[in-house]
Amino acid sequence: MASSRDRPPLKPPEVGERLRAQFGEDVSDVTDQDGHAVVTISVGRFRELVQTLRDDPDFDCDYFDFSSAVDYPEQGQLEVVTHLYSNARNHNIRVKVRVPRDEPRCPSIADLYPGANWSERETWELFGVVFEDHPHLVKLVLPEPFEGYPLRKDFVLMSRRAKPWPGAPEGEEEEEEE
Amino acid sequence: MGVIEKIPVPQPMKFILNWGRRYSLWVMNFGLACCAIEFIAVSDPKHDFIRLGVIPFAHGPRQADLLVVAGTVTDKMAPALKRVYDQIPDPKYVISFGSCSNCGGPYWDSYSVTKGVDQMIPVDVYVPGCPPRPEALLHGIIRLQEKIAGEDIREKWSGKLTRPAPAEAT
Repeated sequence: MASSRDRPPLKPPEVGERLRAQFGEDVSDVTDQDGHAVVTISVGRFRELVQTLRDDPDFDCDYFDFSSAVDYPEQGQLEVVTHLYSNARNHNIRVKVRVPRDEPRCPSIADLYPGANWSERETWELFGVVFEDHPHLVKLVLPEPFEGYPLRKDFVLMSRRAKPWPGAPEGEEEEEEE
Repeated sequence: MGVIEKIPVPQPMKFILNWGRRYSLWVMNFGLACCAIEFIAVSDPKHDFIRLGVIPFAHGPRQADLLVVAGTVTDKMAPALKRVYDQIPDPKYVISFGSCSNCGGPYWDSYSVTKGVDQMIPVDVYVPGCPPRPEALLHGIIRLQEKIAGEDIREKWSGKLTRPAPAEAT
């Protein structure tokens, strides 16, 4: 196995260049966040992109780090985030997919990376993103009778209904101290 | 046990039996979070709860007298905790160790954390803190032993105190 010294990590602009050449308009955005390439791709070609990142010796992303989601209620969208890493080349690539909030469907990559299996189950139960063709999409960390998607921003916390949050939101708190 | 249930136990006998029980508490550690580390610290030589007769070598709940719930109980974990409690034979005691198991602690508004282990099982001693210092658990154990010393053995061994769940907790 080639060590990372023989093959230096791909820089985010290089990642963007290569992916744009292959996926064209479907790659809507490539940014550099602390040296990690962050790629936004359309849902339709998400699986294909992940497969490319895994199988293309140029990218060589052999390690699935994590996947989760972010809720954007104002835009009516959920963003599924998948973080991949290459042990051989020592670079990080984050793949983002935007799906509509009222009918979030995203292809599963559990067959490409077995580690994604549980991550997707968790994202499904906490955000309600349905992963198509997932081998076993049942609840993982929540008790069976649980209803709702607790990590969505409009999820009502009953305890806070009874007693509002006693502190200030993060950020504002610091200003008060100054 | 038959005799104890039938006749009132004379005071000297009661004292000796309670004295024996209070200094031989085989403990089951239900460790769920950082509080479990504090529990381990209490069992180590520096604080050493074995000198109080708390023996951390119970092979399972069926051989334990004392259950220490140390950590954050979630709704998913709650049935398992209930099961462990049910497996402990009477007379049994529960120490709720740390804010999380007392009342939910910093997770008071969480969607998944059980707000207090006393919703499921009766608790004898609550130890506050996040996490409590090892000394706090030692203090809690001593309070529990004081409680055992004053107990009516007939009532306790009948199991009436533990079977009809929460309300009876002190």
